[in-house]
Amino acid sequence: MTERAPLCRGTEIAEGEARGFAPWPGARKQVIVLRRGGRLFGWLDSCPHYQGGTPMAWKRDGYLNAARTRLICFSHGAEFDPETGECTLGPCLGKRLRAMPVIEDTDGMVRLTDGSGETPETRTRSEGS
Amino acid sequence: MNIIGPDALVFGVDDVAACAQYLVDFGLTAVDAGPDGGFFEALDGTGIEIRRRDDPSLPAALPTASMLRQQVYGVVGAADLDAIEAELKRDRRVVRLDSGAIETTDAQGFALKFQVTQRRPLNMPAERINAPGAAPGRAPNELGVQPGMPALPRTLSHQVLFVPDVAAATEFYTKRLGFVVTDVLGGAGPFLRPRANDDHHTLFFIGTPEYMKGCEHLAFHMGGPTELMVAGTRFVKKGYQSFWGPGRHKFGSNWFWYFNSPMGVHVEFDADMDKHDDSWIPRETPLTAEASQMVLFEWRPRWAPAGGPEGATEAEGAVD
Repeated sequence: MTERAPLCRGTEIAEGEARGFAPWPGARKQVIVLRRGGRLFGWLDSCPHYQGGTPMAWKRDGYLNAARTRLICFSHGAEFDPETGECTLGPCLGKRLRAMPVIEDTDGMVRLTDGSGETPETRTRSEGS
Repeated sequence: MNIIGPDALVFGVDDVAACAQYLVDFGLTAVDAGPDGGFFEALDGTGIEIRRRDDPSLPAALPTASMLRQQVYGVVGAADLDAIEAELKRDRRVVRLDSGAIETTDAQGFALKFQVTQRRPLNMPAERINAPGAAPGRAPNELGVQPGMPALPRTLSHQVLFVPDVAAATEFYTKRLGFVVTDVLGGAGPFLRPRANDDHHTLFFIGTPEYMKGCEHLAFHMGGPTELMVAGTRFVKKGYQSFWGPGRHKFGSNWFWYFNSPMGVHVEFDADMDKHDDSWIPRETPLTAEASQMVLFEWRPRWAPAGGPEGATEAEGAVD
């Protein structure tokens, strides 16, 4: 078990659903956690259309299309494969989301895996980059 | 051709229920809304029509991620529809509907409809302010803000399109439909206003690759910057995602606050846009962050410097 603060309980991410979490208080960007086929996937909530990235949800935890088959950037409608992060339609065609690998830990909590997460994108502004 | 501006924008969407909830929370009123969509109107009757993506009554979708299916323009009278029909049918198909409205497509393949405007006249005050040296904007004991104050979108202001050929798009709207270029952001495109509207813009183009063709944002006018910030703050508190703002643009001088939306476009509260007449000479400047806006702010939870080390922080779920 790592010492990293958990994002949530594993049971809070239902099959086919996605949610957004601040990796730590005051983080500039969220981490999207979604479950597909029982597996958890983590992506930085930062559409690669614009340099620096922009937040993707239309509402808190609103990251998926109605059929729950695609991650959507609700800025300009870009669609992403939820398992590979690849943009399949829209303004950032050919780009992909930044992976933020997550694990369901032995205590049932979801955490970013070691060595990921503390990126310039997720640091708070006051901490600088 | 007395075109006033957009009466409505029509979207064929992936998630009707999400769009309906979003537009009501934005401050629009649902009219004839149900599981297959509906119309969501501002105070003057302009607004957004939401339909299912596979609704066979909609014009064809663009071959991109865009869900915009039609732009509905309001004109002053029936003679304007006749003039637009005569002009456009010279080189494209124009369909006259039973209602008298006409449908066609523009130079980039965006579906258009023209109708005698369905706007209801508004008679409401603008935001009133007090300033030293000027006559008071408000009477004694008349308050500037209060909890629960109304802050509702008054009218559909403008849409911004991603177009692959800015020159062709500009020529179509100016030469064929009588729009006037008010300013140009070099590297993006022109701001345009139609003949029967003195707002700085009801239309703006951003040049993009073909695969991005679509709508960048749409905007509704508010009664002033205070209403804009109150409405935007309430929207954030409901969980919606701010994209850019609040701030104030340079060209047009309008206050802005943009949000993501389930229509896959940004939806903007805007306020206090410049007005122009034909004596105005368009400015042109390269698109930069500095040219785009005078000021830019970012929302944060409310806070006050109180006696304790944390100050007074906003209570969970607090709204005004």
